[in-house]
Amino acid sequence: MTTSTFVAGRGFLYIFDARAKLFTVLLLCVMVFLPIRQTGLWTLVAASFLSAWYATDFKQALQPIKTILFVLVIMILFTPLTYRDGEVLVRLGQFPLATKEALVNLNILVARFLGITYICTLYMWTTPMADINLALRWYGLSYHAALVLTLAFRFVPYIADSFRMIQDSHALRNATVSDGERTGRHRLADLMPTVTAALVVALKSIPHLAMSLEHRGLGRETKRTSYRRLVAKGGLFTHLLLSVMIPTVFWLVFNTL
Amino acid sequence: MKSTDSSKMTALRIALMAVLTATVVVFTLMVRVPTPIKGYISLCDVVITFSAFLFGPWIAAIAGGLGTGIADLIGGYAQWAPLSFVIHGAQGLLIAVIARSGLASGVPGDANILKLILAGVVGMVVMAGGYYIAGGVLYGFEAALVEIPLNLLQSGVGVVLGIAVSRAVLKAYPPVRSLSL
Amino acid sequence: MKTAVDIADLSFTYRRYGGQAQPDPVLRAVTLSLPEGSKTLVLGAPDSGKSTLSKILCSLVPRHFDGDLGGAIRIDGTDISTCTPWELMTRVTLVAQNPQEQLLMTTCADEVAFPLESLGIERTALVDTVHNALQRWGLYSMAQVNPQEISGGERKRLLLAVTEAIDAPIWIMDEPFDDLDEQWRQLLLSRILGKKGTVVVFASRYLDEFRGNFDTYCHLFGGNIVRKSEEEIVVEFDRECELQFAPMQEEPAELPNHELHCTNLSIVHPRRSVSSDQPFSLSVPEFNIASGEVVALVGPNGAGKSTLSRVLCGLDPLVEGSITIDGSAIAGKGLQTRVGYLFQNPDYGIFLPTVRDELGWSLRQIRRLGTEEREQMVRSCARLFHLDLDDNPTMMGYGARKQLQAAVYYLLDRPFVIIDELDSGVTYAAAFEIVSLLRKNGAAIVIITHDRSFARNIAQRQYTITNGVVSPSEVGV
Repeated sequence: MTTSTFVAGRGFLYIFDARAKLFTVLLLCVMVFLPIRQTGLWTLVAASFLSAWYATDFKQALQPIKTILFVLVIMILFTPLTYRDGEVLVRLGQFPLATKEALVNLNILVARFLGITYICTLYMWTTPMADINLALRWYGLSYHAALVLTLAFRFVPYIADSFRMIQDSHALRNATVSDGERTGRHRLADLMPTVTAALVVALKSIPHLAMSLEHRGLGRETKRTSYRRLVAKGGLFTHLLLSVMIPTVFWLVFNTL
Repeated sequence: MKSTDSSKMTALRIALMAVLTATVVVFTLMVRVPTPIKGYISLCDVVITFSAFLFGPWIAAIAGGLGTGIADLIGGYAQWAPLSFVIHGAQGLLIAVIARSGLASGVPGDANILKLILAGVVGMVVMAGGYYIAGGVLYGFEAALVEIPLNLLQSGVGVVLGIAVSRAVLKAYPPVRSLSL
Repeated sequence: MKTAVDIADLSFTYRRYGGQAQPDPVLRAVTLSLPEGSKTLVLGAPDSGKSTLSKILCSLVPRHFDGDLGGAIRIDGTDISTCTPWELMTRVTLVAQNPQEQLLMTTCADEVAFPLESLGIERTALVDTVHNALQRWGLYSMAQVNPQEISGGERKRLLLAVTEAIDAPIWIMDEPFDDLDEQWRQLLLSRILGKKGTVVVFASRYLDEFRGNFDTYCHLFGGNIVRKSEEEIVVEFDRECELQFAPMQEEPAELPNHELHCTNLSIVHPRRSVSSDQPFSLSVPEFNIASGEVVALVGPNGAGKSTLSRVLCGLDPLVEGSITIDGSAIAGKGLQTRVGYLFQNPDYGIFLPTVRDELGWSLRQIRRLGTEEREQMVRSCARLFHLDLDDNPTMMGYGARKQLQAAVYYLLDRPFVIIDELDSGVTYAAAFEIVSLLRKNGAAIVIITHDRSFARNIAQRQYTITNGVVSPSEVGV
């Protein structure tokens, strides 16, 4: 199983410092919930889509929409039906299908959701996990917490591989000639052996991990040094300034003008 | 016995959190049971329930929250990650707290079956309710209603399998007790 | 000369857990004193306590794996029971047999850097050390690659790079030559011999590279350690492991008559190791095996032995070519019910609390049998494989877990059985017995191994994988 969320590409987003970029993401995510104009919301969606397209390619840029398609469809189907106040635009007999307020509401909800989706996804695409970890450390995350995060990423492929082998091993062991259609209840029961074996394999690695952490010096009182570091080209201050300016400009343009 | 040695606890606690978190990630992304409506439901709740019954509130909260959060990041649902972190974290925490309440010794999973079910049901409510509120804020309470039955189904399967698996693991791998802090 | 490692009357027994019989002591009375700068080889059969002893020497057992420890260990004169592992890390470094136990980070560079960061080494020196260590072990180009995506041999090298980077005066190495190709074995040997400090190498096979290169030779046997001349130790060790080969002349009484035949298989696999850019491909012009036969499948690490096995037992789909059993084409589920596959790791199949349950589970899945009859079969099978029905499978030694895995397939009665790397982790004698039992049961057996002397002793025919092609070859070559 691949654990990388990074997508190789080009442009400013890859140079933008992980710490400053994270701050921008936060500000933008808050901004979409403030009373900003609808045109502003859609400009933000368009801007983040175009950034995604420029950074990677068109196909990749469409990817986030695919992941939220189900929710989008539900939104379009349900929001107007349940939001009944206001001026009725479409009517089915006596039943108001959509009101003006409902459509405005739907419009804001869709744009907001798309915006948040693209902003968060872009951050993950353009920032290597190790840098995200360092950024979180910079914001005050403890070393131990950051270590848990790194170790979790270390163990995902290991447990995924083991799990796949366990499934195979049980499939071979349980293979019978007369294997008709399995009912849902059976399928759930079939999961028991594999899930149990997988959990035992995972648990067995815990004392080994604790042991190795100590053997590699976790617990020493000397201050840890760091092999990795974040380097902001042109100075961190510039990057942080930018990270505040981007949302501010957006806000000023679409809320006061 | 060195289990009172607090220095060892640090490494062991980190190891427990990391491995269980990774297990939650794998179960969220890999083990999927087909359903007619949404396509698939994941089995992350099984591991969260399991962690709560065997390792108590804090480990379960971290494993559940961080595990589902990371799974969201890897699976391409980054916007959900912080919300999953809070919701599944609270789910793991509460399941363990309820199961453990009034228990003098042992792991929370040693409680009688009714209490385990009660804890599981509370977990279901927290999970489905949490996603309803989060979904409501993100894309409207109307659309968020649709997800409630699916989330109840997913966490319900999690409770049933979680109880069964916890008991199976306690029997199949007795040293698990010495890992619980 | 100063004493670097002083082991006095060391005994160790793992803790007993609920439902488990009292475990036997792993170490009974180990006494050994090694001067500074000495190079020691300790030969010990699988499950002889090598790994336990190596971890005790680094103060990791019983700290992380509970048990009763008796006696004392002094490293440079200090009793290590008063030391924590992180204090000891500047004195002793362990290379564990299984690299997965020790890997912590998500890139090779971070893996080497982690202990240096713990030591507080200043950044410029740290970066230099990391790069030099990776360079030396041929991993520089993989600095940013995830250790989970590299091969077993590369992982071993990564741990050796970490060990060199820490540069502790004492190295404890558990099967460090395992999984390494010739070139890297030579490098490791020269690093060990050139080291100023003390090195203890634990091994379960006596390799040609060892001859005459160590100054102390020991044999770990029955929980005790003996120290003799190299010649005597090797003879003694051989007697323990190899000469117990039971001759396999005994023919099965009633041999079924099945034949599996492959023609023109072509298998393409997405590449597993990042070290090669080529997608992995394997072609099998002809491969066949019949009831009663034991056939070896040999080839270097990563040659595709497991890939072929997965196709043969129906786990991976067949892209091109055909597989027939007794003349009729067969695939997928059909293969799965006819060809068994014993994964290298026996834990994948284990999930129930007792041996009785595990064995009974297979029978329940497979046949409609009476309770009495089933119990009878389980009992006699357990006896054949030296298993205690009430034992807890996850807590048994590695050798016993391999026996349980084989016992499961014995009961399943598959006409064809593939056994992956049986010889690593169990004695030749135990491996040999497992194969004889399955064969006596009527199975045709494919043995996957990279140990040619094992292949020579056990198989009647052999296939070798060279450059992506499977072809028949002389046994043991």
